[in-house]
Amino acid sequence: MWRYLGKRLLISLGTILGIIILVFFIVRILPGDAAVVRAGPYANEEKIEQIRERYGLSDPIVEQFTRYVGNVVTGDLGTSIRTEASVTDELMARLPASLELAFYSVLVASMIGIPLGIAAAAYQGTWIDKSARVFAVFGSSMALFWLGLLLIYFFFFRFGWFPGPIDRLAVTTLAPLHITGFYTIDAALTGRFHVMWEAFRYLALPVITLAFVLAAPILKMVRAAMVDTLSADHVRTARAVGVPWRRILLRDGFRNALIPVATAIGIVFGYMLGGNIIVEFLFAWPGVGRYAYTAIQNNDLEALQGFVVMVGVLYVVLNVVIDLFYAWIDPRIRLGQKVAA
Amino acid sequence: MSAIPADDFHEHEGGGPFIPPEIDATAQRASFVRRKPLAAIGIVILSVYVLVAVLGPFFVVDPLTTDPSNALLPPSAEHWFGTDKFGRDVFARAVYSARLDLSVGVAIAMAATAIGSVIGVIAGYWGGWVDEVMMRLTDVVLAFPGFVLALVLVAVLGNSIPNVMIAVGAAYIPYFIRLTRAEVLTQRELEYVDGARLAGNSRWRIAFRHVLPNSLRPSLVQATLVAGWSILTVAGLAFLGVGIRPPTPEWGVMVAEGAPDIITGQWWTALFPGGLIVLAVMAFHFIGDEFGGEPL
Amino acid sequence: MSLLEVTDLTVGVKGSQASLLRNVSFSVEPGRIAGLVGESGSGKTVASLSIMGLLPNTLELRSGSLQVNGREMIDCETGRVERTSDELAMIFQQPRSALNPTMKVGRQIARVLRINQGMERKESRDEAVGMLSRVGIPGASRVAEAYPHQLSGGMCQRVMIAMALSCKPRILIADEPTTALDVTIQAQIFDLILDLVADTGSGVVFITHDLAAVSEMCDDVVVLYGGQVMETGSKVEVLDNPAHPYTKFLLDAIEREVDPRIEEKDVNFGLTGCRFGHRCPHAFSACANLPPLYEVTPGHAASCFLLDEELTRGAAATD
Repeated sequence: MWRYLGKRLLISLGTILGIIILVFFIVRILPGDAAVVRAGPYANEEKIEQIRERYGLSDPIVEQFTRYVGNVVTGDLGTSIRTEASVTDELMARLPASLELAFYSVLVASMIGIPLGIAAAAYQGTWIDKSARVFAVFGSSMALFWLGLLLIYFFFFRFGWFPGPIDRLAVTTLAPLHITGFYTIDAALTGRFHVMWEAFRYLALPVITLAFVLAAPILKMVRAAMVDTLSADHVRTARAVGVPWRRILLRDGFRNALIPVATAIGIVFGYMLGGNIIVEFLFAWPGVGRYAYTAIQNNDLEALQGFVVMVGVLYVVLNVVIDLFYAWIDPRIRLGQKVAA
Repeated sequence: MSAIPADDFHEHEGGGPFIPPEIDATAQRASFVRRKPLAAIGIVILSVYVLVAVLGPFFVVDPLTTDPSNALLPPSAEHWFGTDKFGRDVFARAVYSARLDLSVGVAIAMAATAIGSVIGVIAGYWGGWVDEVMMRLTDVVLAFPGFVLALVLVAVLGNSIPNVMIAVGAAYIPYFIRLTRAEVLTQRELEYVDGARLAGNSRWRIAFRHVLPNSLRPSLVQATLVAGWSILTVAGLAFLGVGIRPPTPEWGVMVAEGAPDIITGQWWTALFPGGLIVLAVMAFHFIGDEFGGEPL
Repeated sequence: MSLLEVTDLTVGVKGSQASLLRNVSFSVEPGRIAGLVGESGSGKTVASLSIMGLLPNTLELRSGSLQVNGREMIDCETGRVERTSDELAMIFQQPRSALNPTMKVGRQIARVLRINQGMERKESRDEAVGMLSRVGIPGASRVAEAYPHQLSGGMCQRVMIAMALSCKPRILIADEPTTALDVTIQAQIFDLILDLVADTGSGVVFITHDLAAVSEMCDDVVVLYGGQVMETGSKVEVLDNPAHPYTKFLLDAIEREVDPRIEEKDVNFGLTGCRFGHRCPHAFSACANLPPLYEVTPGHAASCFLLDEELTRGAAATD
């Protein structure tokens, strides 16, 4: 098991290095004078020269690269050209907002996708299966910005059930004490339950928007994995010895489908780390996606580069976590050797 | 001693018992619509889109003419989709957009399929270090959501339609590399490859004349889905003000321009073009899904 | 009264004329082992799955009756077999994949004990270890804590048998229980099944393609070909005095040490006549119909028109 994990870890480190290299070269090698691009359209010669100096853009490319890798490895993602603040600090300050949104979206998506996927597999070929499939196609072809606008129009403008697309809490509400960075949890921990309720109300529309889209791939992969395990020999055995169908679905079917299901949820969560730029922009959600949006509007390549490296690294780290989870749920990985001949 | 061969009812399956071959002839005679109803719906929807994209612009008013006195009019017989805050006809703009969005989406999917398949064949058929390097490279690229990668590429390359196409296409190429490579790995073990080799064909010729055409099917199915996603991605970028910019009539641009109106109740400027995007993507996905495409 | 009485069982492919089992009849007596013999596609697995109520969705029961202890198992409204595990249990060909890979084997057995014998959790755990030692597993308490992938194939088959026994079945269906195992292990599993019949007086349906195993294990034999019962009777009668051309052909193939597969052609499941007709050296005009079972001696019958004296006389006359 340790060998398996060690190998996975080594590959992941290689991928992270590859991510850093790729981003570095995309941002630096592509056409245009790096300093001119960074300085933006309205900068004068003096400003451009200043930026060239400050970011060492006239140094040999190899030197720039080694310096960059050294910085990233020590957690320094550079300095924003516009705000002159540390990109790492700015991202870290915004990450909890994004993670809270991502967490609840994937949670709700799983709560929709997993039961539907199980039902579709359990009743293959019936109307349940067919409607689940149409739902999945709906979800995977949905435009986040359109669904978000639709929800805002009806549930904010028309019915007024939920707050408008501005931030995580009302302007007049004091944010809860920073403990986990999740407003819902921090508010509950500090006993401000009305703030927790408010945080949930502000989360509702962006979470529904994302969950609808994310449920589709989860549903599809759960269904495929369940169809696979339900046709396995051991499920036939369980039926032969009289285990009730409902128990078979969960203990013999779903339990053995957990690995592909975990993969599905992992992929979806990874997709979230970037897919929320649109939703964060639309709902004015103060997360890393909104930061990336601002960086693009300001032509702040350093900030954008920091964001992209973070997204890539988070994705790889997420995969390592999923691998650990595999080892935990699958005894064939957890316990390699035989105990009895 | 034992004389009768093992019951191959068991060999057929990892799981469920033997399923006998299709004997029913009526099922095979059933029409395409009956067998693949979703694909049929998708094809009908797309045909309408193509028709509108080709002929529509000859029948509608100019999509760029502003008319401040007629701004933000709700849908009516005169302005089917209403007018936007500059008084432009939303329907006319949506019709012109169809041409741009559809051709951009399809072109991206075709280019990504072509490039990805060629690289995939090289990786899969040559194997060894070529394959290893390719796979690690796709690993790296796939660590980014396609949308983020496309976003950064456009940000660096600059806002223009060709740049958007390059950026979005580049984000999808790794999927086609993987897909083709996997198929090539099974294809190259088949007998016809040995046959071609014995007939004296060169490695290149076998790879591109024999293995590649036989490995294309999964990529072509996936290309249908990617055409849909490309439209979605291009529109999503435009919604963020990246790539295709106003006043170009493009669905994503229209949604971006109309989004602020939603808060004040003028839903038609954003929801009509957005709905057209979703419907088009859905049509592509109905087709791709019926032929066994997988979500990315 | 027979423990299991299968009468005119017909199973077909949904939405098609093809039938995989045609009017199959046989019975199993208490304390006896009935061998279901046949080559690939003979329908022996379909027969066992029908009896267990485990037919896949693509197949359907068309007609016939299944009686266990005189009780009809086929629900006449749904045309499906009711849950039968309190009377029947089954062991499978691939013991390792037949066990749940993410569940300790002791728990898999304990689960069966709870469901079928209404035991409490603690009691079922202890009894599971007891069942494991009963099927001859040394160090049963340690094995109970193992996952299937940690056990050998033979060990898994013993676990499978322990699990089947936990249903306290009146009838055990063993579907080629030893094909995946070594020859030495095969003998041990056979002994285990023989002991079990001697101890409990249960009946066993022993499915195999191996006539040697039949002569070693079984009391009665049912020879299947193409979903049709060819010959049925006591082992001694059928093997020593075969009446059906197909049985003779099988025995002859063993004698000459040839593989009958060489001459095997695909069975046509849409055929209305005798399914062995196109391979039979003695086929004549009557074989375009389905032959009924003709009694050879009491308890020994074969499904072949050659046994119909009137028909054979007629055929001889036209020749």
